[in-house]
Amino acid sequence: MHILSKNGRRVAVVAIAALGVSSLAACSSPSGSNGSAESDGTYSIAVLLASSQNGYNQAVAEGVQKAADSLDGKFDITVLDGGFNADTQLSQMETAGVGEKYDGIVVVPFDGPALAAAFPLANGIPVTTALNPIGPDIEEMEPQVEGVVATVAVPAGEAAAKQAEGVVEYCADIDPCKVALLVGQLNAPLDVTREAAYRKVLEPEANIEIVATVEGNYDPDLSSTAISNVLQANPDINVVLSNADQQTEGAQIALEDAGIDPSTVYLTGGGGTSKSIQNVRDGVWKADYINFPVSMGKAAMEQLYNALTGGDVTSFVNADEVGEVDPYATKETLDETPDYTGEWVG
Amino acid sequence: MTTATATPTRISRITPASALLFLRDYAVLVLLGIILLVLAIATPSFFTFANIVNILNQNAPLAIIAVAGTFVIISGSFDLSTAAIYAVCSVAAAWVAVASGSVVLALLMPPVIGMLLGAFNGFSVTVLRVHSFLATLASSLIFKAIAVLITGGALISVPLDGFSELGRGRIGGVFYSVIILFIFIAVMWFVLNGTVYGRHVFAVGGNQDAAQLSGVSVDRIKVAVFAVSGLAAGIAASIGVSRIASGQPQAGEGLELAAIAAIILGGTSINGGMGAVWRSVAGVFLIALIGNGFDILGFNPQLKNLVTGVIILAAVALAAVGVKRR
Repeated sequence: MHILSKNGRRVAVVAIAALGVSSLAACSSPSGSNGSAESDGTYSIAVLLASSQNGYNQAVAEGVQKAADSLDGKFDITVLDGGFNADTQLSQMETAGVGEKYDGIVVVPFDGPALAAAFPLANGIPVTTALNPIGPDIEEMEPQVEGVVATVAVPAGEAAAKQAEGVVEYCADIDPCKVALLVGQLNAPLDVTREAAYRKVLEPEANIEIVATVEGNYDPDLSSTAISNVLQANPDINVVLSNADQQTEGAQIALEDAGIDPSTVYLTGGGGTSKSIQNVRDGVWKADYINFPVSMGKAAMEQLYNALTGGDVTSFVNADEVGEVDPYATKETLDETPDYTGEWVG
Repeated sequence: MTTATATPTRISRITPASALLFLRDYAVLVLLGIILLVLAIATPSFFTFANIVNILNQNAPLAIIAVAGTFVIISGSFDLSTAAIYAVCSVAAAWVAVASGSVVLALLMPPVIGMLLGAFNGFSVTVLRVHSFLATLASSLIFKAIAVLITGGALISVPLDGFSELGRGRIGGVFYSVIILFIFIAVMWFVLNGTVYGRHVFAVGGNQDAAQLSGVSVDRIKVAVFAVSGLAAGIAASIGVSRIASGQPQAGEGLELAAIAAIILGGTSINGGMGAVWRSVAGVFLIALIGNGFDILGFNPQLKNLVTGVIILAAVALAAVGVKRR
């Protein structure tokens, strides 16, 4: 049985070629100034985002710009869009790593291990990375490849373990305490690490029963579907442990649709969006693991500046320590900073 | 005596060839029946009113898109832009809701926008003479970019009272989205099987030249199927954006391929000219049941895609075997 007719196959080939051309276009470096610190005193900085169409990444870029505005020097910032594609970002890194167009790079890696293939860069310019390390070990925060001078991040497993410790505390007087794990993508190394960390903390607890592990794919609609399904078999669930705020929003919808008051369940997420912080303040969610993407961007830019100007570079900046509040937020911790609304919308 | 002679005649008709023919035509129903049976035996949570309504509600947007997509594929075309239209409509609805404060306006707009974008696809295919595969691939990039431009890449939360009613409200325990789905299926089934337009859709997909020579306005039919596909993506977006009360440019990612997979899995011919609305609905719910079963039974979600892939392959292979034997 031919799935496509001869004509259809021809069209498919042309379409694939068109996709290839568009990918190549995305990979190519944009035209722009060719300034460098040596020639006219302006530092030309490339900001390689995993996706420029993503709120978190945009917040990191905002932080880079804020740091550039406050530092002593002139900066020409160029933002490149990785399109949530490891190959595209690798090509962008390799392109930025040749010639004299850029003096330094701040990157939010889409795939840290894959991006390591670009190093060492041919032109030897310094690179700082935010959110994820670059190299084969996703839990190692010290630079793993030549050319990366600083990492602004938190080991994913460490943060996940702390989230799970909050669950253990909540479940202390509940037996059995039924927990659903709502994880981003179980084919992504970072999320696999998070799930393993959750289990490492929760499984030794005799009163805690992990009743389901489902994927939320960082999407409220898909998360709502997954938790709705889980609730069919486990309507008396006590905890939904999620690594992302978008997913927790979906879990909240599923609980409400099932006629369950979300504030009676331990709901927690990760990200620290304005909406999730408000949910914790209102008691709808019990906790949230707050990220500080703007502050992370600032820190990455500051370390890059240090590297460019011969200053002291801190090779690992703990991203949990760059914000204004305790990242492991509960209503009580947020009550101490009533004006804090988070660093990004979502 | 009549009974005695009739019985052996019936038995003799059930031959391997006729069984294969049956499988070719109804593979999706056979697999759907098997999965329903397995899930009903495996867990008492499955065959409950709440779970069935839950499955219908979750998959209403995809089913609506697949039902309209059936028209596109029967007419011999592809629509790869439905997810992008869904995204544009979602963010437009959220933006309008926040800007105007009108829930009704915000949720009525997506079907209109969707229909216009679908008609744009139709004109690209008929006026510019670009193959639908390429035309909708290109337009999906354009529509996606529009969604990003509207939002700047961020999501738009809609805090208005009543905005979530369409996606999450119920009547008699049944979600509005499910009622909309059933009405849409009924209307589209009637249009495809009970109207001249429906017959022309089959004619265009079966043999475009013959249809043209028979006086069918092929271009008009094609523009109409794409407009309907866009309309469906818009209706689905109204439900989806209402359900999560926020619009985001990434909304609906993968919906276009999921819809096409469900249509083909149901047994509608990818080469056009043959198909049915019920087949696509069955295809959607076959895939949905696999996901539902995994979540209810607490199976390893990493195996979900593997099982889904094997079942799709099995359904298509069953259909192919039937064709070869015939």
